[in-house]
Amino acid sequence: MDIREITFSYDRKIDRLHQVSAEIQPGRITTIIGPNGCGKSTLLNVMSNNAVPRQGQIILDGKEIRQYRPRELARKLAVVHQQNEAPADLTVEQLVRFGRLPYKTMLSSRREEDDQAVEWALQCTNLEERRYRTLDQLSGGEQQRVWIAMALAQRTPVLFLDEPTTYLDMYYQLEIMELIERLNREHELTIVMVLHDINQAIRYSDHLIAMKEGRIVMSGEPEQIVTAELIRSVYDVHVAVRQDEEAGLYVIPVSVRQQTLIEA
Amino acid sequence: MISNTPKPAWSAAANTAVPQTVPDYPRQYRRRMWSFVAVSLLLIGVVLFSAMTGSLKVGAVQLIQGLWSGTDAQVNVVRDLRLPRIIVALMAGAALAVAGVLLQAVMKNPLADSGVIGISSGAALISLIAVTVFPALYFWMPAFSFLGGALAWAMVYGFSWKSGLNPVRLILIGVAVNAIFSGLGQSFNYRGSYAVTSINQVTTSTLSMKKWVDVEVILWYGGIGLLLALLVGTWCNYLSLQEKTARNLGLHVTRARLIISVIAVILASSATAIAGVIVFIGLLIPHIARQLVGSDHRWLIPFCALSGGLLLLVADTLGRTLLAPQEIPASIIMAIIGGPFLIFLIRRSDRIHGH
Repeated sequence: MDIREITFSYDRKIDRLHQVSAEIQPGRITTIIGPNGCGKSTLLNVMSNNAVPRQGQIILDGKEIRQYRPRELARKLAVVHQQNEAPADLTVEQLVRFGRLPYKTMLSSRREEDDQAVEWALQCTNLEERRYRTLDQLSGGEQQRVWIAMALAQRTPVLFLDEPTTYLDMYYQLEIMELIERLNREHELTIVMVLHDINQAIRYSDHLIAMKEGRIVMSGEPEQIVTAELIRSVYDVHVAVRQDEEAGLYVIPVSVRQQTLIEA
Repeated sequence: MISNTPKPAWSAAANTAVPQTVPDYPRQYRRRMWSFVAVSLLLIGVVLFSAMTGSLKVGAVQLIQGLWSGTDAQVNVVRDLRLPRIIVALMAGAALAVAGVLLQAVMKNPLADSGVIGISSGAALISLIAVTVFPALYFWMPAFSFLGGALAWAMVYGFSWKSGLNPVRLILIGVAVNAIFSGLGQSFNYRGSYAVTSINQVTTSTLSMKKWVDVEVILWYGGIGLLLALLVGTWCNYLSLQEKTARNLGLHVTRARLIISVIAVILASSATAIAGVIVFIGLLIPHIARQLVGSDHRWLIPFCALSGGLLLLVADTLGRTLLAPQEIPASIIMAIIGGPFLIFLIRRSDRIHGH
C-alpha cells in the first residue's frame, strides 16, 4: 500500500496533512504515533477512504482506493474504528456476521463460506462462548474484540485499527495487543494502527511512523528510530529511553520540558 | 400489548453476574414470533369488527355471504362505503409506521416521524395546491404529494446537516419546517375556503367518504412503497452502526440513505394524500415494535406495517363508533391516545434502542 503526497483539509483553509508520503509494507505491523491533533487518525481516515484528500493518492494493489467500489474495497481492507455503536439487542454473532456484507449479492449468498468466516473470526478473538450475548452484556475488552471480529469476518488481507486500546485497562490492553500480534504472525494480516501508548507501539510494531503537525517526522523500525530526541521533537516531552532484558526497548516519560529537569 | 414486554434483562448492574450459557437468544425469537401472531390475529379481528359495526350493523356470516354473492343490499352499502375506508386506514397506517421506522434509521434518531419533521405537511400543502389548480389530476395527487414531502425532507436534511447529523438540531429544524408548511397550508386553506368549500381533505385528515378510487390510489403508491421498504431492511441495519463503520463494511452509505429516504417519503406522502396529516403513528409504532421484535429491520419493517395498519384502523373505528352518529377524525384520536402513550412508554423503558 502506497501513500502518495496526501494533503488533507477539513475546511479548505487549514491543511491537517501536508504532502504525507509513506509505504505500508505487506505482512507487517505499522503503527502511527504522534501527539493529539497531529493528523494520525486523519491519515488513517484518508487511508480507509473515509475522508477525501485535497491532493494525493492512496494506492492499494496497484489501484487508487477511490476507484474501488465500496464492496470491493471492503474485501481488501477492514477497519476497526475507535468509537462504535450498535443496537443494544444485537448478539455478538449477529454483529460479527455484519462483516460478511462485502460478499453478499442480491441473489446468492454463500452461506457456508459466511459461516466459516464468522466461526474463524469468533475463534481468533476468543468469543465463541459469548456469541449469544448482547453487546452490553460484555466487558469493554470483549466489546473491542467483537468489533475486531467483525472486521476479521471481512477476510481482508489488510486490517486498520484506530486506537484499539484506548479506554481499556492494562489487562485488556495487553490482550488486544497480543491478539493483533497473533493475527499478524499467524494469519499474515497486514496491520496498520494508531496508538497513543509509545511503549505498546515500540513493543508490537515492525515499523513506526511518527507524526507531528500533519507531517511525518520520522519512520522506520522502532529500535532504530526511537530516541529521546525523537520523542522530544514529536511530543515535547523529555523521556529516558531504556533497554530491559524482558521488555526490550522502552520509554519512561520524565517531564514536559527538559529545563525543569536541568533546573532541578 | 405492552404488559408482556419483559423487563430489560441487561440493566448495567446485572451484567457481570450473567451466567455463561445463554437463555436470551431463543427467548428473543419466541417473543418476536408471538408478537407477529398476536398482531395478525388482532388485525383480522379488528377488520371484521370494523366492517360489522357502525350506523348499519351486519353479522359476520351475513357479511361474508353478502360479499361473496353481491346481492345483499346492506352488505353492498358496507362494501361501497365502509370497506374502502377500512383498507385506506390499514394502508395509511402501515405506510406511516414504516415511513417512521425508515426515517429513524436514516436520521439515526428515534424521534424522526414524517408528521413531526414536516414531511406530511409539505406533502399536504403541495397536493392541496395541485388539486386546487388541476382538479382533474386526482390519481396523480400522491405524486404531487411526493414532491412536497421530498421538498420538506430535503430542507430538514440539508439544514440540519453539518458534517454529521445532530439529533437535536434535526428535530428542531424539522419542527420549524413543519411549522412553515402547515402555516402555509392553513393560510391557503383559509383563503381558499370561500371558493372551494370543504374539498380539502388533505388538511382535515378524516377517513370518512373514502371510495374505491382512493383505495386504488393508496394501494398502488403505498403498496409499492411497502414492497420496496421490505427490501431495504438490511441496509437499515447497517446504518445503525457508525457511518464510517458501515462504509468500511462496503455499504454505499450515501446511496443507501438516499434510497431509504425516497421510500419513506413515498410512503408518508401517499398516506398524506389520501388520509391527511396524521402524526404519532410513525413515532409510536416503531417504538413499541422495537421492544417487541427487536431492532433487526428485516423483522421490524413488516411488523411496523402490520401494527401501524392495526393502530390507525382502531383509531378510525373508535372515532366513528364512540359518539355515533358524530365522528371524531382518526388523527385527533391518534393525538389523544398517542401523546400520553408515548410519554408512558418512554418513562417505562430504560433501554433506548439505536444508540
